[in-house]
Amino acid sequence: MRNRTVGTAITVSAIGLLLAACGGPPGGAGAGGDGSSAVEQHAKEVYDKLNGLTGKERTKELVRLAEEEGEVSIYTSNSDMDDVVEVFEDTYDIDVSVYRGNSESVLQRVLQEQSAGFYGVDAVETNSTELNVLNKENYLYPYESELRDKVREEGQAENWIASRFNVFVVGWNTNRVKPGEEPKSLEELAEPKWRSKVSLELDDVDWFAGMAEHYEEQGMSQQEIVDLFKRIAKNAKIVKGHTVQGELLSAGQFDVALSSYSHTIDKAADEGAPVAWRTSSGQPVEPVVIRPNGIGLTKTAENPAAATLFADFELQQAGQQVFEENFRIGSMPSDQDPLAGYDTVDVPGDFLASMKKWDRLYAEVVKGGTEVGGE
Amino acid sequence: MMTTASPAVGTDTVAASAWWRRWLPTPKMLILGVVGLVIGYLALVPLYYLLWGTFFDADGVSVAGFERAYGNSQIFELIGNSLWFAAGAAVLSLVVGTALAYLNVRTDVPFKALFFAASIVPLIIPGILYTISWILLASPEIGLVNKLVEPVFGSGTFDVFTIWGMIWVEGLHLSPIVFLLMVAAFRSMDPSLEESALMSGATRWQVFRKVTVPLARPAIVASILIMVVRSLESFEVPALLGLQNGIYVFTSRIYFVLRSYPPDFAAAGALAVGLLILAIIGVALSNIVGRSGKNYQTVTGKGFRPRPMELGKWRSVVGAGIILYFILTVIAPLVVLLYTSLLKYYTAPTLNVFKTMTLENYRELIGMSKAVTALRNSLILGIGSATLVMAFMAIAAWFVVRSRVRGRQVVDQLAFVPLVIPGLVLGLALSFVYLRSPIPIYGTLFILLIAYCTRYMPYGMRYAVTSMHQISSELEESAHVSGASWWQTFRRVIVPLLAPGLLAGWVYILVVSFRELSSSILLYSPGNEVLSILIFEQFEDGEFTVLSALGVVMVLTLILLVSIAYKLGAKVGLNRTN
Repeated sequence: MRNRTVGTAITVSAIGLLLAACGGPPGGAGAGGDGSSAVEQHAKEVYDKLNGLTGKERTKELVRLAEEEGEVSIYTSNSDMDDVVEVFEDTYDIDVSVYRGNSESVLQRVLQEQSAGFYGVDAVETNSTELNVLNKENYLYPYESELRDKVREEGQAENWIASRFNVFVVGWNTNRVKPGEEPKSLEELAEPKWRSKVSLELDDVDWFAGMAEHYEEQGMSQQEIVDLFKRIAKNAKIVKGHTVQGELLSAGQFDVALSSYSHTIDKAADEGAPVAWRTSSGQPVEPVVIRPNGIGLTKTAENPAAATLFADFELQQAGQQVFEENFRIGSMPSDQDPLAGYDTVDVPGDFLASMKKWDRLYAEVVKGGTEVGGE
Repeated sequence: MMTTASPAVGTDTVAASAWWRRWLPTPKMLILGVVGLVIGYLALVPLYYLLWGTFFDADGVSVAGFERAYGNSQIFELIGNSLWFAAGAAVLSLVVGTALAYLNVRTDVPFKALFFAASIVPLIIPGILYTISWILLASPEIGLVNKLVEPVFGSGTFDVFTIWGMIWVEGLHLSPIVFLLMVAAFRSMDPSLEESALMSGATRWQVFRKVTVPLARPAIVASILIMVVRSLESFEVPALLGLQNGIYVFTSRIYFVLRSYPPDFAAAGALAVGLLILAIIGVALSNIVGRSGKNYQTVTGKGFRPRPMELGKWRSVVGAGIILYFILTVIAPLVVLLYTSLLKYYTAPTLNVFKTMTLENYRELIGMSKAVTALRNSLILGIGSATLVMAFMAIAAWFVVRSRVRGRQVVDQLAFVPLVIPGLVLGLALSFVYLRSPIPIYGTLFILLIAYCTRYMPYGMRYAVTSMHQISSELEESAHVSGASWWQTFRRVIVPLLAPGLLAGWVYILVVSFRELSSSILLYSPGNEVLSILIFEQFEDGEFTVLSALGVVMVLTLILLVSIAYKLGAKVGLNRTN
């Protein structure tokens, strides 16, 4: 009798506790609306004030307000963030707290927090896809500055700004691919002589979308494009993750990696690894696909001025130099533009809207012509 | 908050007072109630979140997620690959883990110290490093082992990129779980049963088959259960080894549906529900096996002294086998890691390479400001979650195995639930709840502790329940007769007898908690970094050689910690000299 009471009590209480804790269905509306007003209002005033100023006046006011705030919280997937923060903290009297995850977890964390009315983040620094989602969800406040207008055109996104670009290149192992034998184009890699010698990355859907659009502009039909990639995939070993891909490329597991990041290859080559993405005469496999990564300011920032100052800093010489030192390609055009003269392709502007389609097609490609991610 | 039933109290009549007293929960009921509540709470929060996302969408109840998850011409191929892989890995880990445990506990095999390392090291090395080490060892193109045997067998003898390679790596990586479970089981087994069989003329092999294995059945079933579920949801090994030749498994689908934006939680949930059903059947089966009465209760009122069996002329043969196994599973991958950690980039070993070796990667590690914080946090979380989980599960195991409460199996089932919940979903569920909770847990180390306790509860429960099956109830009964309260009996009789199992579970949780990433990455906050976050960062940065150095440091730290735990554990554990 007693025993049964314990059992029942446990079940009932557990459910009770659970419901109390959840307070409703997951995915339901959070406290976002009302509780946000004061914070949001304050942030808006600061942003508007700064956006209304220009030149030295803006800089002076921005630094004053930012140092008054004294701290800023950044969520990022940028692997060079520690270096940027170090220089920033040396320059200004502001403490930066950094949450770093992969771009998916950065996005999920911001979505979760914002929908619950928890304002932990002042600026989000991540990949274009995730920033576009945040913009679509209406969580970002427009960032305006003279610096913004100087950024490469591909990087001037709606309500956020690119700080650097990921450049997808075809990389090769220089021990296994002799000078003169380097691939000239992606099409070439579909030929039988490259059988088992190339590698595709499992998740580079945005790279695939960029290349597909490029071929479409060249007059190929979608079917022809998918067929081409399937032929390449037949020659390919599928790898997950750019780090693994880079490591196995330099170890010689395969000769060519299709969608490497230029900085992965450059960094490895700098340490002496036998890898390259340009021939000795400086010629890469064209086109290279570029994807902006950038920073967006949140509407509910508790430190809006410091967040704005941080965005400025990333675009200024000091910030861009950190990216350069890490073999990244900054978003500000410079005299030694590493991409100058190369044929480049962007990730499609409507990538977010058609992501499911690209996802499905690319899954089909890497699966070697059979569908795995179907809807 | 609700507590165990305590309805309104009558004040004026004696009858009412008696009635009140009858309903007053005893300490035993309170303790059981609290443990049950905690387990229920930890399991149901993510489960509720998962099921809600699976069955409900904007328009109400929907099973469209199931269609998207399973309505695919290839689902059978995926399930087939998965089952093959899971069964293979489970069998390999079971055979290896059981054999090593038996030799270690019950025989006079040489090199016992090696066992310890052999049993723990594959567990400590982060999965991704362990797998990549195996690529560098056994890839047909660049594998060092292949280069070594090339003059004899020709090129590409071993191919790690096959289902066999996947089974090999996963099976070895999981075998420590079995080893730890089986060591605990064998320690608590009265060898006189085997000795009588031997005296009656049975051969050693017959004894092993007819006496030892049947007695260890609860532990074997628990091992199979954990191994199969673990391999079914494993993604690391299939992603790194299977994809190269287009071998896809069931979990790749969970990965694919969660990859896109917005993530298809309904389909991911539908896939997890499939695993959940499998797990529920598994737990029920394991309870049926364990329940068959006193068959497995080898720890009884009769004292015993586990005396090692003499291997005789086989001693040197088995010893050689152990050395071989040790070289294969521990030394080889570890040497690859150590070798890589001394380089600037990976390259096959030549004389020149050895000249360029440097400690630069270790220097970089020491220079990392976050490294110390992360190590400290990981230690706090690892020791904290291991201790909490094993303490609660010890009580829960008594509740499930010994009590006669109706529905007690539900507690066992609930404790197993988190095993099938994807780490990302657990992270989302916890942040959903604690972002809305008035108690400020979000953004602290405490939310990670909750996540870890949830994730490792299933293992803790299996370790505790398995040991509980071996303890005879007559010991408790005699304590009762001698006037001990339930709590006294539990502390003074049951816990010491459970000690080998509890310690094994504790060690397991401590070690694997150092690697937990999938929910930590969503839940940690600046200043609360853990070691796995650091590993992830190094990995994302492409710092494979620094990562290898970190792997080496982790192996050394955890070996030290586990050694200490065993030394301490030996003091509180089963006193074998009595």
